[in-house]
Amino acid sequence: MTAPLPTPRGRRRERDVPVAVGVFVAVLLALQMFLLTVGLDAFLADDDALAWTTAGFSVLLAAGSIGFYRYLR
Amino acid sequence: MTDEPIWRRDFPLTSAGEDETTRREFVRYLVVGSGGFAAGSVGIALWSSLRSINAGEPRRIVDLDRVPEGTSHLFRYPTDADPAILVHLPGGELRAFSQKCTHLGCVVYHEPDTTELHCPCHEGLFDARDGAVESGPPQRPLGRIDVEVRNGAVWAIENLGEQEAEQ
Repeated sequence: MTAPLPTPRGRRRERDVPVAVGVFVAVLLALQMFLLTVGLDAFLADDDALAWTTAGFSVLLAAGSIGFYRYLR
Repeated sequence: MTDEPIWRRDFPLTSAGEDETTRREFVRYLVVGSGGFAAGSVGIALWSSLRSINAGEPRRIVDLDRVPEGTSHLFRYPTDADPAILVHLPGGELRAFSQKCTHLGCVVYHEPDTTELHCPCHEGLFDARDGAVESGPPQRPLGRIDVEVRNGAVWAIENLGEQEAEQ
């Protein structure tokens, strides 16, 4: 017995899901880049509280990225 | 000899399945980058928290008669990398502050014959009597430096930082 061939719709879905997840992760990465600049500003201004807040959000976004990637696997 | 067909070597085109693998790999690189950004942000926060205020050693700044009332004098304290400003207030009092604005680190300047320190980057204004914020985007007072007059010269005694200025 051979596996049934995927339908055109199924093939398209297989192709589109990684692209969609990639877009989500890219958006999260852009937000993290922004947070990194905020953290650097906080560092220059000796504002520890802001630096930790941005670090927390950045870790949260990284966890989101990992979650999306796990969904892909 | 490899099992790869000759056409494959001559025309190295990728199939749809291989494209998907590439997309997954690309997402993996993005996720690794995301982890790098997170680690960088945590590192910056750690560095910001762990660095300590350098109180500095007592050091002679300038002769008092070279800083008339209503004027200021720029110096560096506690290290040569830390710009500071000495203000001789109208009335005779002496105040010294870190010249680094607490908003984004630009240097502040004294408005002659006033009790104001001005940050030209984003129009922040500080009170030259205690370093408190008067207006503009800064949220915290300037770092204060304790000064005193010894034998006609102004000495920087200790870097008090922002906490002391708030009291």
